[in-house]
Amino acid sequence: MRTFAVSMGLAGRNLLLVRRVPSVFIPSLIMPLFILVATAGAFHGIGALPEFAGASYLAFTIPMAATMGAGFAGINSGMTLARDLEGGFFDRLQSSPAPRIALIMGPLMAAMARSVFTTTIVFIAGMIGGVWLPGLASTLVIYGFCLLFAAATSCWAIGVALRARTVQAAPIMQLVVFLSVFMSVAYVPVDALHGWLGQVAHYNPVTYILTASRSAELTGTIIWSQTWPGLVASAGLLLVLGAWALLPLTRLNDR
Amino acid sequence: MSAAALATRQTAALAWRSIITTLRLPQAWFPALFFPLVLMAIFTASFGGAPGNIPGFPPIRGFLDFAVCGAIVQGVLIAGTTAGAAFATDIEHGFFDRLVASPTSRVSILTGRLGASVALGVVQALLFLSIAAIFGARVEGGFWGIVVVVIIAATFAAAVGGLGVYLAIRTGSGEAVQGMFPLFLALLFFSSAFFPLATMTGWYHAVAAVNPISYLVESMRDEVLGGATIWTALTGIGIAAGLAAISISASAITLRRRLRVAS
Repeated sequence: MRTFAVSMGLAGRNLLLVRRVPSVFIPSLIMPLFILVATAGAFHGIGALPEFAGASYLAFTIPMAATMGAGFAGINSGMTLARDLEGGFFDRLQSSPAPRIALIMGPLMAAMARSVFTTTIVFIAGMIGGVWLPGLASTLVIYGFCLLFAAATSCWAIGVALRARTVQAAPIMQLVVFLSVFMSVAYVPVDALHGWLGQVAHYNPVTYILTASRSAELTGTIIWSQTWPGLVASAGLLLVLGAWALLPLTRLNDR
Repeated sequence: MSAAALATRQTAALAWRSIITTLRLPQAWFPALFFPLVLMAIFTASFGGAPGNIPGFPPIRGFLDFAVCGAIVQGVLIAGTTAGAAFATDIEHGFFDRLVASPTSRVSILTGRLGASVALGVVQALLFLSIAAIFGARVEGGFWGIVVVVIIAATFAAAVGGLGVYLAIRTGSGEAVQGMFPLFLALLFFSSAFFPLATMTGWYHAVAAVNPISYLVESMRDEVLGGATIWTALTGIGIAAGLAAISISASAITLRRRLRVAS
C-alpha cells in the first residue's frame, strides 16, 4: 500500500516536472502530431497499393503516431529520472524510507498517464482530418496498447538513466525507440515490405503491437487473431525491459 | 601579402578548424550520416512497391534512386544545424571574441564557416551517392549529373551554413540552435523530398507545392532518374543560390552589427 502511495507521489512529481520544463513538454506534444501529419500527408499516395485494401492512409497512420507518442512518453520519464539522478534528488529519495520499487514505478506510471494524453491528441488530430474513432472497444484497445508500450519504453529509458546517471544519455533512449518503431510496419503493411526490412520487421515485437492496434483502428472490431500477437509482444517487452530497469536498482546499495 | 590573399588563407584555416572539430566529435557528424541513411533504407524497403503502381508515381528503376537526393538534402540540413551549434558554442566559450580581438579579417570569420559547410556538403553528396550506388542505384545523368547534384548540395550547404551562423549570432546558444532543428526537418517533410508531389492531396499538396525545397530536391532527382535538362539543373542551382544569398546576407548583416557592438 505504501509502495503504491509513494509511486503515485513520484509519478505526480514526474508529470509536474515534465509540464514545467517546456523543452521536454513541447516536443512530447508536437512529435506525435508531426509524425501523424508528416507521414499521412507526405506518403498519402502509398495507400493506393493493393496491400492497403482501400484503407485511408491517415487511419492507417494513427496507431503508429499514437504508439510513437507513447514511446516519447516513456523516454520523457527516463529523461526526468536522469535529471533527478544528476541533480541529487534521487540520492535523497534513496536515503529516505521510500520503497525501492517505487523509485521506478513512479516514472513508469507517469509515462503511462502521459501516453493517455498523447494518444488522445493523436485521435483528436485524426478526427480533424476526418477519421472518426473506430468504436468504443477498438478505441480502448488502442489506448491499451499505447499504455503497454509507454510502460515498456519507460522501463527501457529508466534502465538507461540508472546506468548512465546523466541526461546526456537521452539520445540513446530516443534512438532505440525511434528505430524500433520505424523498423517495423510503420509505413506499410507487412506484405508490402521489401527486402531486409521484411526480415527485421518479422522479429521486431513492435510490428505485432502496431498490427494489433491497426487492426482495431481499421476494422472497428477486435479480431483476436490480430490482437493476441500484440499482447504477447507487449508482455515480452515488458518482461525483458522490466528486468533491464530493475537490475541496476538492486545494485544501488553497493554504491 | 595582399589583403585578399591573407583573407583567403585565414578563411582556409578557419574552415579547416571547423572541419576538424566536426570530425573529432562523433556526435557532430554521426547524426548527419546515420539518420538520413537509415531513413533512406527504411523508405526504400517500405515504399519499394510504389513506383509504377500508384497514381502519380511513374515507374522507375527502384525507390532507392528516388530516395537518395532527399537523403542528401536531409544530411546537409542536419550537418548545417550541428555546424551552427558549434559556432554558437564558439561564441559562448569566447573563441569568437578572441578571433575578433585578433587581426583576423572579418570576412573570413563568415567565409571560414561557410567554406567548411560547403566542403562537408560535397563529401556528403558524394558519399550518399556512392552508398546508394553500392545498393544498386544509378545516376542516369552520368558524370555531369553527379556534378549537378554535388553543386546543388554544396550551394544548399552554404545556405544552411549561413542560416546556422545567423541563428548562432542571434541566439548565442548552441542549445537554441539545436532546438530549431526540428523546424527545418519539418520543412523537409512538408515538401516532395521523400515522395512525389503528384501523389499528395489537399493542403499538404498546397504547402509542398510552394516549398522551394520540393523543387530543389526534384532538380537533383531529375539528374538521378533521368530526364534532366539544362533548365531543371539551373532551377535547382538557382533555388539553392537564392536561399544561400538570403541566408548569407542575413548572417553578414548580423555579424557586422555584432562586431560594431563588440568594438
